[in-house]
Amino acid sequence: MHSKNSIVSIKSYLDLSQLLSEYRGSHEDNRSFALKNKKLEKAPIKLLLKWLDKNYFRIDGELNSKRYLDYLLSLSSLLGLIFFILGFLVGLGLLSYDGKLPVNVIYYLFIAMFIPLFSMSLSAISIFSSDRVANLISLLFPLHWIEKALSYLPFKKKLKGLKFNLHFKISKLLFIERLQLFSLIFSIGLLISLLIMVIATDIAFGWSTTLQVSAESFHELIRYIGIFWAKIIPSAIPSLDLVEISHYFRLGEKLDISMVHNADKLGAWWKFLAMTTLVYAIGFRLIFWLLTKKYLNRELEESILSLKGVDKILREFNTPYVSTQAPQKEKHLEIVEAKKEVVIKKREAKYQTILGWNFSKDEIILANDAKDIDGADNIWAIGGSNSFNKDLEIVKNSSGVVLLYVKSWEPPTMDFIDILEMLIENSKVSRVEILPLGTIGRYYKNEQEHIDIWRRKIESVDSQKVWIINHDR
Amino acid sequence: MIDKKDSYPKFAVVGHPNKGKSSIVSALAHDDTVQIGNTPGTTQVKRGFPLKVDGKIIYELFDTPGFQRARRILAWLQEHKPVSADKRADTIREFIYNFRDDDRFRDEIELLEPIMNGAGIIYVVDASKPYGAEYEIEMEILRWTGQPSMAILNLIGDEDYREDWSRALGQYFRLVRTFNPIKAKFKNHIELLESIAQLKEDWTDSIKDAIEILKKFHNQKIDRTVGIIKDTTIKSLSYVYRHKIKSKSATKEEYKLASNRYRRELIKYEKKLEKDILDIWKHRNVDVIDTAPIINDIGLFSKESESIFGLSQKELILTGASAGAISGAGIDLALGGGTFFLGSLFGGVVGGVGAMVGFDNLYNIKLLGQKIGKRELIVGPMKSHNFPYILLGRALYYASTLANRSHAIRDSLKLDDREFFIERVVDSSMRKKLERVHSIIREQKEPKEELLVEYQEVILESFKKLI
Repeated sequence: MHSKNSIVSIKSYLDLSQLLSEYRGSHEDNRSFALKNKKLEKAPIKLLLKWLDKNYFRIDGELNSKRYLDYLLSLSSLLGLIFFILGFLVGLGLLSYDGKLPVNVIYYLFIAMFIPLFSMSLSAISIFSSDRVANLISLLFPLHWIEKALSYLPFKKKLKGLKFNLHFKISKLLFIERLQLFSLIFSIGLLISLLIMVIATDIAFGWSTTLQVSAESFHELIRYIGIFWAKIIPSAIPSLDLVEISHYFRLGEKLDISMVHNADKLGAWWKFLAMTTLVYAIGFRLIFWLLTKKYLNRELEESILSLKGVDKILREFNTPYVSTQAPQKEKHLEIVEAKKEVVIKKREAKYQTILGWNFSKDEIILANDAKDIDGADNIWAIGGSNSFNKDLEIVKNSSGVVLLYVKSWEPPTMDFIDILEMLIENSKVSRVEILPLGTIGRYYKNEQEHIDIWRRKIESVDSQKVWIINHDR
Repeated sequence: MIDKKDSYPKFAVVGHPNKGKSSIVSALAHDDTVQIGNTPGTTQVKRGFPLKVDGKIIYELFDTPGFQRARRILAWLQEHKPVSADKRADTIREFIYNFRDDDRFRDEIELLEPIMNGAGIIYVVDASKPYGAEYEIEMEILRWTGQPSMAILNLIGDEDYREDWSRALGQYFRLVRTFNPIKAKFKNHIELLESIAQLKEDWTDSIKDAIEILKKFHNQKIDRTVGIIKDTTIKSLSYVYRHKIKSKSATKEEYKLASNRYRRELIKYEKKLEKDILDIWKHRNVDVIDTAPIINDIGLFSKESESIFGLSQKELILTGASAGAISGAGIDLALGGGTFFLGSLFGGVVGGVGAMVGFDNLYNIKLLGQKIGKRELIVGPMKSHNFPYILLGRALYYASTLANRSHAIRDSLKLDDREFFIERVVDSSMRKKLERVHSIIREQKEPKEELLVEYQEVILESFKKLI
């Protein structure tokens, strides 16, 4: 099933089809494979087959091709034998000579030349015709019926449960190719039987027809038939004399007297018959068989490209693999909700210290006004462009209940937490109330999402001194 | 000496916590697996996102944690005064060296390290919130690194303080650009990359290459999407379901079962299409909310789906009539106009009437094989003239929603746009081309390759209108 010149065989076609139904690879893998085989860049089929070789191990279980080709081999061996025997028996039948009437060469020519030419013409039509016509033509070939009959034999069971779709054109060409092979075997059987009969018996050949054909015309036809070997083996072309003396009629009980007189010459037809078989039934068939094989291989190459999934792989072979993602996975951040409630709705009536994290002093006074908070003795801006040491100084000087304004949209950084922890550690500070403020543009109104961020962070501080005020006044 | 394999441009996306750094990286890297949270400190370690083509890195983006103790760092740096400008980067290196194992500065070390290894700075701020002086500390530290830098104004909320921010940022950064990772489309990504290319002359060529690669990559995604939509539509419209029946005639239940199985198969095709589109556009973590009956299972055959994605009755009749007239015109031409153009007229009328086949009567169910004994119910192919447009409309809607969806979005995908009209994206001349193929499929024939190419071009044109 795999000729020397072809790159795709039935096996590789079926294996690739099976592999593609199970595995098609990722773009990254396929592109990397194509880059490693850059020499085959312009030979997609070769590249595909190499990809198949590399990925054979991915096919689960038995290869479909093995079962199918085993079946085909068993069937073909049996059919080959049958056709050889048939050819031999047909030869024996055609050449059986009872000593009374000569063997009519026209019968033999019909089997050795006319039928092969007719069958090859039908095969050629079938190759180039549509699926429906090809199906009809196949009914004319005995092989179709023999195969059908043989399908009831036990070895057909080998195909049970096998799932694959051989493209119709391939099935058709496979049938035609095998048809040529078996016809060739048949013809070899025919030729062997002719040679054995010629050696083992004394056959008198003649020709007889109902049609009004003169010996000259018949000789002319014979010359046309023998045109291919006339110059190489002239003795294999019967002479006009031989044609004339071997013409007989079945009317009457006795043969023509001149025929009886020239009985020793009548056997000379065998060379012509042998050459006709060799050239038409064997030579032409052999050429046609090889052509069909070549055509089948070409079809396999075309069909392999239309297998489901091949377009994806070829596209991936040829398309640069672009990756924009991180190679390592991100470790997911676990957010553990603390149980302590830190949010209060109501704030203190009076604060001893008012601090504004990342606010200027003016902004704090403005916020006090907007929130109806009476001015405390100590109002300080912390964070922002203050140095850390300056903030430490402010924290040290803070006392009593501290109101700490923060920008609600700015999540608490560790810098803030450091300052807060120092406030907590300050024994003069009895309580810290954090009041997140929205933007002035939104009249300090907060978004719940921001409050939640602050709440989670303050919960993690785990202090009895710190609270978040969540109210929109 | 610089290692050759590391000579590609690198950019560290840095800034205050929760200003959308990870969103920007997620959008630019087309990676929806990046953890984005409203909890500060979601990003704990730097993470590189290389743009690789066949394994070769063109550039690399780093997502980094936000500044946590910027004041303390600046204070440390300033203690080294007086430091001349050319030595400031060394002071940062010294800081990294001294505090590498100090947990207090873990985040800062993570964000400064790639910068000191040569990465350009992309500083992100939320320009929907007012500017604050506290940012100047971070900007000052970044200035000390001496690396090329730009600032991105991200508009997370609905207020706009870009002017204030631009005035301040302009003093620290060479370029200031607005980029909203949630709303950004492919065009905006490219514009941002074009800005990044200006940061350093040595990087310009690499970034320009990257832009070309990304454009090609984007077009490939479009072509693949359109190809899949075409294939699925053709497969769905030509699908025929065969249901074997036991008795002489089919029971009502058997009719119903066959019809349901036929529908189920078409739904399966649509689901497969949706999955393929998700893969193509690299949305790996999208949680799709099926807002009945827009894109859910039942939706495909619902009246509502017809009204949202199908053609209006008027358009349907016009399309059917014009397609019929085209076939009729073929007869007129073949007969050299001897028909007095009655062919076109007749074709138009037949086509128009055919298009009126109601939505309840979507497909044929035939009982075959009563005489030979192998009885089966044949369901399909789809005969409704509107159904192909519903299929296409749904596919285009789904695909365009995903194509336009930024990878920075973490909300579930809600498919509830009831204002989608196929007529908006497929005009009458395009519909004629589509109808040519639909009518061939309705006749259970195979459309010619050139017609399918034309069909795909129409889908491509409509898809491009949506993205």
